[in-house]
Amino acid sequence: MINKFLSTTLVTIALGTSTSAMAWLETGGEREEAMLLTPDLENGRDVFEVCAACHLPEGWGTEDGTFPQLAGQLRPVLIKQLADIRAKNRDNPTMYPFALPESIGDAQALADVVAYIEELPMNPDNGVGPGTDLALGEKLFKDNCVKCHGEHAQGNADKYYPRLEGQHYKYMLRQFEWIRDGKRRNANPDMVKQIKSFSDKDMSAVVDYVSRLKPPAKDLAPSKDWKNPDYE
Amino acid sequence: MFRQFRRTTMLVAAMILAAGAGQAMAADGATLYKQKTCIACHGPDGKKPLLPEYPRLAGQNAAYIVRQMQDIKSGARANGNSAAMKGVMHLVNDEEMQAIADWLSGLN
Repeated sequence: MINKFLSTTLVTIALGTSTSAMAWLETGGEREEAMLLTPDLENGRDVFEVCAACHLPEGWGTEDGTFPQLAGQLRPVLIKQLADIRAKNRDNPTMYPFALPESIGDAQALADVVAYIEELPMNPDNGVGPGTDLALGEKLFKDNCVKCHGEHAQGNADKYYPRLEGQHYKYMLRQFEWIRDGKRRNANPDMVKQIKSFSDKDMSAVVDYVSRLKPPAKDLAPSKDWKNPDYE
Repeated sequence: MFRQFRRTTMLVAAMILAAGAGQAMAADGATLYKQKTCIACHGPDGKKPLLPEYPRLAGQNAAYIVRQMQDIKSGARANGNSAAMKGVMHLVNDEEMQAIADWLSGLN
């Protein structure tokens, strides 16, 4: 009896653990498949047309944070998020239908479109926060974020850590809150732990600070009025 | 003679104004339909939805369209695929909903 109870408990614990590990980096899924494929940029441009309806032809998203900037995001990060959304590992009802194979295609199409997106020049004028607690934001950033996201929030392609520099404040704030509060299921469990004790003020301060970090000039569009010539 | 001329002029002016207003409204609805990302799911001119489960909107009654938009925005309607649409409903106000619905209902 005790044995049975114990083994059930153990199985539950084991299942619980593997589920949360899976939620961050699922193995054997489309992510792994797409990572190994050689991208076709021309097809990527065609696939991107579906994305452009919301993320805009420049891939800059919207300052109000409804849609994130995709331009310049690291390829593995984009692959992981797309694969997660279509595997229902990240809840995004608005995006979900567009992530489906019948909308954007198979793993090859996924590899193609993210390669195209990664090369798009970034918005030089992304949305930033109120600017009221930047010193606090900087301290929190250095103590909590740099280790994984990098000195300049440039991300880490090998580890699927997103590039944050240049991202819209309001989008990042929402995602940060969802990660902190356990609403974003494919979040990295280490990050969830790391930011667990952040107050709303801390959260806004650090995200505001990060939204003001400018990507290197070589990755930026020449002006905020730049239009994607592929869609003219 | 002068009076008649004035009346005709006024009539023509009124007609131009009316046509202009109608056109501006139609253009607004068409622009908003793209800008507010309706086009992404419901397709160009409301005729080719992204998925077969999504409605065609061209020629639909304007009052019905407005009602669905309002209910999805407020959460009163939360069934079917409305979760997909709720995520963008904060982008439109009542006036814009009306303009989009009027434009869609006028399409064949």
